[in-house]
Amino acid sequence: MRLISYHGLAVLILLLVGQPALAQFTVEGTVVDEATKDPLIGVTVQDEFSKRGTATDQNGHFTLKLPGTDAVLKVSYIGYINKEVNVNTSTNRLVITLKQDIANLGEVVVSGLATTVKRSNLANSVATVSANELTGVSPAQTLDASLYGKIPGADISANSGAPGGGISVKLRGVTTINGSSEPLYIVDGIYMNNDAIGNGSDAVTDASAGGSSSNQEDPVNRIADLNPDDIESIEVLKGASAAAIYGQRASSGVVIITTKKGSSGEPKFKISQSLGFTELRKKLGARTFTQETAAATFGSTGEELFLDAVNSGRGFLDYEDLMYGQKGTLSRTQLSTSFGNEQTSFYLSGSLQNDDGIIKTTGYEKQSLRANVDHRFSQKFDVSVSSNYIHSQSFRGLTNNDNTGSTFGVSMLATPNFIDLRPNEDGIYPNHPFNSSNQLQLRDLFSNGEEVNRVLSSIKANYNIFQTDNSVLAFKFTGGLDFFSQDNKLIFPRELQFEAASGAPGTLIETKTDNLNTNTSALLVHTYTATDKLSLVSQVGYTSFNNDQNSILTVANDLLGRQTNVDQSASVAVNQTKIFQRDRGFFVQEEVNYDDTYILTLGLRGDKSDRNGDVNKIYAYPKASFAWNVTNTDLIKSDDIDNLKLRVAYGQTGNVSNFGAKFTTLAPSNIGGLGGILIRNQRGVPGIKPERQIELEGGFDASIFNGFASLEFTVYHKKIKDMLLQREVEPSTGFIYENFNAGSMVNDGVEVGLNLLPVNTENFRWNAHINFWRNKSKVTSLPVAPFDVQGFSTSLGVYRIQEGQSATQIVGIDPIIVNNDNIGQFPDAAVGDTVIGNRRLGDGAPDFQISFSNEFRILKNFDLSFLLHWKKGGDVINLTELLSDLLGTSPDYDDTDLSVSPLRMATAGIEPGDNNATRRLKLVGVSTAKMVQDASYLRLREIGLYYHVPVSSMQRLFGNTISHIKIGASATNLLTFTPYKSYDPEVSNFGNQPIAQGIEVAPYPSSKQYYFHLSVDF
Amino acid sequence: MNIRISNFIVRTLSMGLLMAVVGAGCDIIDIKDRPDPDNVSLDVIMNNPSRDEVSILATGTESGMRVDLRLYYIDVGMVGREIYRFLSAEPRFTGDLLGKANSELDDGSFYATRPWAAFYATIRNTNILMESAATSTALTDTEKNGVNGFGKTIKAYELLMALNLMNENGIRINVTDIFEPGPLVNKEDGFNTIATLLDEAATDLDNAGSAFSFKLSEGFQNLDTPQTFREFNRALAARVAVYRGNYSEALNHLQESFLDVNAPLTQGAYHIYSTAANDRLNEVYADPNASAGDSWVVHPSFVADAESGDQRVADKTLERDQNATLDGLSSDYGLYVYKTQTSPISIIRNEELILIRAEARIQTDDLTGGEDDLNVIRNAAGLPDYGGPGTKEALIDEMLRQRRYSLFAEGHRWIDMRRYNRLDELPIDRPGDNVWLSFPIPETENVNR
Repeated sequence: MRLISYHGLAVLILLLVGQPALAQFTVEGTVVDEATKDPLIGVTVQDEFSKRGTATDQNGHFTLKLPGTDAVLKVSYIGYINKEVNVNTSTNRLVITLKQDIANLGEVVVSGLATTVKRSNLANSVATVSANELTGVSPAQTLDASLYGKIPGADISANSGAPGGGISVKLRGVTTINGSSEPLYIVDGIYMNNDAIGNGSDAVTDASAGGSSSNQEDPVNRIADLNPDDIESIEVLKGASAAAIYGQRASSGVVIITTKKGSSGEPKFKISQSLGFTELRKKLGARTFTQETAAATFGSTGEELFLDAVNSGRGFLDYEDLMYGQKGTLSRTQLSTSFGNEQTSFYLSGSLQNDDGIIKTTGYEKQSLRANVDHRFSQKFDVSVSSNYIHSQSFRGLTNNDNTGSTFGVSMLATPNFIDLRPNEDGIYPNHPFNSSNQLQLRDLFSNGEEVNRVLSSIKANYNIFQTDNSVLAFKFTGGLDFFSQDNKLIFPRELQFEAASGAPGTLIETKTDNLNTNTSALLVHTYTATDKLSLVSQVGYTSFNNDQNSILTVANDLLGRQTNVDQSASVAVNQTKIFQRDRGFFVQEEVNYDDTYILTLGLRGDKSDRNGDVNKIYAYPKASFAWNVTNTDLIKSDDIDNLKLRVAYGQTGNVSNFGAKFTTLAPSNIGGLGGILIRNQRGVPGIKPERQIELEGGFDASIFNGFASLEFTVYHKKIKDMLLQREVEPSTGFIYENFNAGSMVNDGVEVGLNLLPVNTENFRWNAHINFWRNKSKVTSLPVAPFDVQGFSTSLGVYRIQEGQSATQIVGIDPIIVNNDNIGQFPDAAVGDTVIGNRRLGDGAPDFQISFSNEFRILKNFDLSFLLHWKKGGDVINLTELLSDLLGTSPDYDDTDLSVSPLRMATAGIEPGDNNATRRLKLVGVSTAKMVQDASYLRLREIGLYYHVPVSSMQRLFGNTISHIKIGASATNLLTFTPYKSYDPEVSNFGNQPIAQGIEVAPYPSSKQYYFHLSVDF
Repeated sequence: MNIRISNFIVRTLSMGLLMAVVGAGCDIIDIKDRPDPDNVSLDVIMNNPSRDEVSILATGTESGMRVDLRLYYIDVGMVGREIYRFLSAEPRFTGDLLGKANSELDDGSFYATRPWAAFYATIRNTNILMESAATSTALTDTEKNGVNGFGKTIKAYELLMALNLMNENGIRINVTDIFEPGPLVNKEDGFNTIATLLDEAATDLDNAGSAFSFKLSEGFQNLDTPQTFREFNRALAARVAVYRGNYSEALNHLQESFLDVNAPLTQGAYHIYSTAANDRLNEVYADPNASAGDSWVVHPSFVADAESGDQRVADKTLERDQNATLDGLSSDYGLYVYKTQTSPISIIRNEELILIRAEARIQTDDLTGGEDDLNVIRNAAGLPDYGGPGTKEALIDEMLRQRRYSLFAEGHRWIDMRRYNRLDELPIDRPGDNVWLSFPIPETENVNR
């Protein structure tokens, strides 16, 4: 390169203008599938040297102008093995065949903060989910819901059936007891906030009054905002060995999301529309009453109302139908376009989603706009900008635990089918005779809205500082920004039954939360090809992460008429919560690749954070990994084995404490107009430090019989030490709990992925993916007494952390024999003198999970896909059933088929003639066993059938204007088989929890969805 | 490749990077150690607090006495068969608290843990108040005596509340260390400590000048100077004395208390409530006609056993439009002791002091004096003078009866019946129900493991 001037401006111009034009030539060609000979659409064809590239059109055709006289074209397409093709001025009418890559060996996977490695050289088990796998079969409502069954090692569970999200994603078992168990989501370099911020409904439901302080407000975790249709691919770093380079934010894994990018060439548009409906997945049924049982359960009032139902001819009402019977419409529209030239490319998209729930007045809507721009200033300097604006609104009703009888769920349980809660001709709702709230009135008159405005933006810059034939030094910068404003507003008008009865009728609850995340990373990457076999990639870098969140909760009581401003009330209470986080990290990494056969990586990350007691202390997290491609050596000489790689990886990550763990403070507590401060429940720990996860994983990847099958097998052992625990302290100290670092636990797991291509012919192709994964956790050291992390009380079942036990064990009470040979035992058959003791009654973690997905392409134009997901084991504490027993409405109340062991029967004084509800109620205070229920399931998660209109008919009909039309129908959660007795085996009263996911108290019931789809490319 | 260009570019880019990083966050490398943005740090308040800071600690202490008091009244009111708290979502009220079938009181359940934790949180606040005031250069020694007199009195009261619940299981008395609580002591030692604390407080108040350095709420109207607060302190001492059976001591304390047979029976110290910010509402208030699933109702025996014409029944209960039934229990009367959600709750008042004097007089064989005191109470309730036998036993019965009606649903019946060994006289509503003697020490105190 020749320099004209040293002046900075000139350099800038130089950067912008790029290389002067030299000789050029044009290559034309077609890319087709090797087996079916079908043209492949959208294949990337790029010259690695000049970085010029294009994508194939609907006929699989491409044209590319290249500088110089020869070039090597890299042809890449998701799901196919990449190919490099030499071209020169004399090349013409090139036909490139690509082979389906069922092991995805050619896929590029993240290996550092800004570096990637081919999957065939990867030393970790990194799961990837492509756009097609994500949303191609049947769309889920939110991004997290579309990951079910697609990531081996992930335990994904919905907290309720409410529209708009609220889903827990846990990678490789229990990563923490008290820290955050949600993975770090990085979207185009943005550390995307995934907080779940409550709506403040506790002010009405008083859910925490019974002693449980956790969030029971069924919040949405904010990753739900991201539009799944914009996503190109997702890479999942499941444990410390893969995620160590992300340091103290990566203990629960990292989910790296890349959104779609523009491609150069003529503008391409895609418009897709899905329409569908949703309905209640399963009805529980209702208790059948007689005059006697109505009188026995609901007294004289009950008897009168029963007789009224019979004599008036009204009969019995189906409240599940009245309340949960809405067939909600679902609609989503996605419009995207991609265009550009050799320097600049754009991807623009807009989407609209509007979903109703199965409860009238509930629903979810979202609008999203995205612009991704990539610009190449020169061969050396390129910049990518991604920006996304999201607006979402959800109306989730009022469900979950409640101590005032106000919620939909509890009201429903208090409603026998002989009463009539419907409004009269004047629209006046009767009071619920047996409950403080008429759920039909509440549903129709109250409102629980959540509105989010969110902006995500990132910039990535890449500059090659110098470049020689065998060495490149690149500077890479990433800056990310995520701002959202969440506004929750609950309006409980004065005329609601429980409001009218209260001393200050009418309640408004308004929560406004602003959250800003910013992150940067800057690194130098040096790639050095020492010999034709040995290459080295070195990197050194810096990262920063800042978070500020400010939340103001305002509760207004005694509303003035129908006003909905918080100041239009007789009393107002305000609570402001601010949290912040500053993290700084530093890292170095070295990758050594010898002939794509031996690949060694060493790295070290150092992190500090103001969540730690010592804010400037640096905690170090090392990593090391090694992959050995055996098939590249002479050791294996079998034609049946296409590829065999052995790999082992080790790494450490951290997890910082929750905000405020180090503070001992006093909070406002006023009286009669005087200001006061009162000690808070938390005893601060000044020396709090991050917990540390140490993971070792190993395994092999093999593909055999010329692409017929590929197998990925991984075992891992991870240890978490210096755990961030929250323990209840002796309340006589004046405090309730504190955080502390202590103890350790281990997780051992196996992940097996098998991809099969049993049939691959022109008219029929069958692709199958089978994933199996299991994880066992065990608390190996706990230097304090066992403690409960969640639950209402031991008699109602708790998740108890106890040395030597699974971290997710459920403990309850049960009779323990004290006077015979079986002292201390719990034999189900023996009867003896007993005391009521504590006993392990279940485990929240599944034994294993299997997902089985199949794709069939039939007669070239039909695609049939389905995904089966089996979760074996994993228990849930079902308190909905207990409430329905207490309230006298259990569907099986009067049945007598509930089996109870003789010991429990004797201890609880159960008579053989007692009905089921009486049996269960007599067991309250004696045994928790019947509340802990198996929540295994086998679920047909997704099924979809699509028809691609053949190119020939399209050309006949529309000429060349339309390149692709796809129509289809799909369903999610179509079938579920489970022994669990309530609405859904996936449920969590306390929202996303590291341990205690499965506790159920009258949730929003789950639903299934049916869709019709049409998409057109032009 | 020209090295000078690349150097230049590296410099330019480094500067650009630097600016970008600075833009993203002020401190590139160093992190500031910031305090809790939401609340007052303990370290700050413990180190030479200003007058205002001492004052807000005292107010916070008074305010904190009301935390979870609702649960205390439910516990004591239900075990003492005065009220039913019906809550369809919470089976443990009508199950565990009434000893339904084979259920036991659970040492991990909120009814045992939360009131206890709330009492000790207030005690922690009194300790913080007294320890921080001791380091304050803004207060005189006299004012510090006032702080100690207030702090120790409240601390003793909160210990008494805890002992009322835990009874035979004892309480912890030495809880000054923030990490290690002192040992659990038995009931007798608990009472000793409480009495001693009250006496020490009285001495401090004697030397506290004419005014506190802090303000008490209107709940302490006429009891808000060191001298008058001492009358409140002595009233509590009298209550403790009769609980311990030290009747003549009780009479001495009463003389220094605010007892006044000519004053309104309602005169005394109260927890007050308001709808103002960060204040609390009276959580024992409920609409007496609230639906059965979330209601506070009167134990049927309270109305059934009442002498006809007793105004206290009409004052404190309201016949419901609809009978309330839950879990095999039933009542026709809603609880109506508190009329609004800002009605004050009595800590101790003249009415109880007169009843304490009646009890102490009867027990010290001043039967006439005792009967006179009981007649003050009876007449105030619209009843004629006592007409029953004048024996000590009969008068004790009458005294307990008047306490039952005068102090209804204020947390006394269970304790009174217990100290007279009469728990077996409490009505049993369902076959198999139990009357508990004591609440279990919370599981998290780690005394039972």
